[in-house]
Amino acid sequence: MKIGVYFCNCGSNISGKVDSQQVRQLLETRCDAAYFKTCELMCSDDGKAYLHGEIAAEKPDRIVIAACSPREHEGTFMRVLSGAGMNPYLMQMVNIREQVAWVTSDVGRASVKAAALIRGAVKRVGFHRPLEMKSIEMSPDVMVIGAGPAGLKAALTIAETGRKVTLVEKRAVIGGQPVLYEEVFPNLQCAPCMLEPMLDEILHGEYAKNIEILTLSEVVELYGFYGNFIAKIRKAPRYADMNQCIGCGECIGVCPVDVKNEFNNGLDNRKAISLSFAGALPNVPFIDMAECLRTRGEDCRLCEEACPLGEGIILFDDTEVILERHMGAVIVAVGASLYDAGLIPELGLGRLPDVYTSFEFERLLSSTGPTGGQLMTRSGRAPGSIAIIHCVGSLDANHKEYCSGICCQYAFKFNLMVEHKLPGTQIHHLHKELVYPGKEEYFLYRRAKENPNAVFTAYQDIGTLHITAAEDGILITNALSADDPIKADMVVLCPAVAPSKDSGKLNEILGTTIDSLGFFEELHGRLDSARSKVRGIYIAGACQSPMAIQQAITHGMAAAGYAPSGIVGGKRLEIEPITASVDMDRCSGCRVCMLVCPYRAIGFDEQNRKATVNEVLCEGCGTCIAACPAGAINGNHFTNDAILAEIEGVLA
Amino acid sequence: MSEGSTTGGFEPKIVGFLCNWCSYAGADKAGGAQKSYPPNVNVVRVMCSGRVDPQFILKAYKAGADGVMIMACHPGDCHYKEGNYKALARHRILLRVLAEHGIESDRCRFDYVSAAEGDRFIKILTEMIDAIRALGPIGIRMILPKI
Ligand SMILES: Cc1cc2nc3c(=O)[nH]c(=O)nc-3n(C[C@H](O)[C@H](O)[C@H](O)COP(=O)(O)OP(=O)(O)OC[C@H]3O[C@@H](n4cnc5c(N)ncnc54)[C@H](O)[C@@H]3O)c2cc1C
Ligand code: FES
Repeated sequence: MKIGVYFCNCGSNISGKVDSQQVRQLLETRCDAAYFKTCELMCSDDGKAYLHGEIAAEKPDRIVIAACSPREHEGTFMRVLSGAGMNPYLMQMVNIREQVAWVTSDVGRASVKAAALIRGAVKRVGFHRPLEMKSIEMSPDVMVIGAGPAGLKAALTIAETGRKVTLVEKRAVIGGQPVLYEEVFPNLQCAPCMLEPMLDEILHGEYAKNIEILTLSEVVELYGFYGNFIAKIRKAPRYADMNQCIGCGECIGVCPVDVKNEFNNGLDNRKAISLSFAGALPNVPFIDMAECLRTRGEDCRLCEEACPLGEGIILFDDTEVILERHMGAVIVAVGASLYDAGLIPELGLGRLPDVYTSFEFERLLSSTGPTGGQLMTRSGRAPGSIAIIHCVGSLDANHKEYCSGICCQYAFKFNLMVEHKLPGTQIHHLHKELVYPGKEEYFLYRRAKENPNAVFTAYQDIGTLHITAAEDGILITNALSADDPIKADMVVLCPAVAPSKDSGKLNEILGTTIDSLGFFEELHGRLDSARSKVRGIYIAGACQSPMAIQQAITHGMAAAGYAPSGIVGGKRLEIEPITASVDMDRCSGCRVCMLVCPYRAIGFDEQNRKATVNEVLCEGCGTCIAACPAGAINGNHFTNDAILAEIEGVLA
Repeated sequence: MSEGSTTGGFEPKIVGFLCNWCSYAGADKAGGAQKSYPPNVNVVRVMCSGRVDPQFILKAYKAGADGVMIMACHPGDCHYKEGNYKALARHRILLRVLAEHGIESDRCRFDYVSAAEGDRFIKILTEMIDAIRALGPIGIRMILPKI
């Protein structure tokens, strides 16, 4: 085997600090290189042309390039090899710039070290095998999970490129949390007016034909990999024909069953057939079959009879279906929820009727909410004083250590909305910190400060607040000002934004990771926050971190830009050849490799009882290789033989 | 006299297995800063510390290394999610095996070096060289199982 060594002087970077002549002499013993040549600057155009010419003239079987770090120019030289008709994997770089020349003060010792590393590379490269990139077909389509602002924007952006999008939403309505708000910070824009154009675009716009909306649906299985995922989606029955129903609501009024309305946090009732709230989209009611009289054996058909379109719109025999969809990428946009303020019993949630979470308060302020937007206590009185408690469970080692970032802003939004609805109402802001960064966000804070009836009071720790019932209202004692308790008719808690309860389950299904706080984990906090650690699965919106609508929308666009960039119709997925492979004769079927693989890239061939590596999923880390007790797995390019030879070489 | 020595005294030979993404980049970082350190460590690059098979380490001792270092990304930072945890667990077990063969635990060090930590790379490496200088050359090569 003819192995050629090229020593790059890298201008004066290497030549002044490692003596190439001494290296050449040292390599005359204990090294099988066929020749040793020096070159001025291998990465320059001249240098690359020189290498190209050398390959043609010398026809080496293997090449060792002693130069800079492979992290800098391995790709460059691999391309030169390819261009010269040599398989690019038949080369090994030796890092004599960063790891010898620049860090060794004595030229003699530097030359000895360089020679040792080159010996290792020469020994190693003999074991290199030509490797080929493989490729497979990919689906250009995308599945988006969650139809809140982040998911909707992502779905729309992708649909506009002509791709098919499957939008999977757990609830009966799309729009996420903000469809339940009346107005949004930072400028009190009317939330439905802001969202409806986007929702309409999704439902009836120019690209709606590219979006399949599956409401009352959840992903129950995902298998496959980047470019080729297959999802199983469980779609619960709606019992109404989505295509024909005109959304008049005649069926709802006649329903005899009253149930607590979860869209208003149980603050009022809805019917067993319902439309969630006025203006909900899609504008088609659904039947809560668990509550419908038919489940109890009664032959009630009042809703069907009330339907002006006649029979066939209400579908009593609608059933759950499992759908299968094929896509190249997945975007997770399932949002977040609120920390359970009931875990801090001193705050009185659930115990005192007029202590509300911020979500509940949003609904009390909403014209489609339980009181039609009239602000009143449970006993029907207009509140004279409202206490808003910021930072509930945020910034607190006993609960959630982080700042949720949005609560102060909606608290100031509440301040102004209350001022508009019931001028003169006393508003107490009890806060640990106040946070309102951004170019628009100061406005609502300023308005709250200017409200003559608003009082700002700091508290030290959520545990030092006690909320109790008083004779005609609620009493809040704050350890920082214990002899001056605050009286209020209503208390609004602003709990930390916390991961949704079922994000753990979804994470399992998708094979992604969640961070120590329970949010979907990004590939990199700053550089890659819209990608999960699994190739082809993207994350957007509040499921990744607490954020406001603006960031959620931007995040959705980011994921939508990123997801399709690699999966283009007709383009094939190139598969890096540095993967693991199983030697079937040696594999004993113990499955240790499957346990250690971080990518679920190893499957099990039940028939032959052997492990198999999926080359698309395998990232080439080599953990399985080191773990295999039978030595039956090997890693392309990083084979045991090659590494053992390198070890021997550097110590020779 | 071995090639590596200039003084005629004992110059430890150390093999460092560095993962491509953090530790190898950390070593490059020390290079970029042109900080000088003793040339006793010869680096073998692996994609992830999780790839370091115990037989590599045994091979290194057998081929003449007085010490071995495995350097990984910090906990939580492994490019392949958790290869560094697997490497750490394996290292713990290996230390016990080495002890049975009379190889001191200081001769096999596992540590974390991020891509930014050029100084930390040098610190660990210098400590390692000092520790092995104190122990002296490895003398039990012959009784290691054949690889
Ligand atoms: C009280 C309150 C007031 C706020 N006021 C404002 C404001 O005025 N202005 C502002 O900018 N921001 C405000 N925010 C923040 C805002 O709510 C979020 O920024 C926004 O909801 C994030 O959008 P998203 O798409 O990430 O998540 P979401 O809006 O939560 O949407 C997620 C969607 O995914 C669905 N889903 C969940 N799990 C699954 C699953 N397993 N399968 C399928 N679908 C699933 C959900 O049903 C939901 O439709 C407020 C937040 C709170 C708590
Ligand atoms: S990539 Fe550095 S330890 Fe896994």
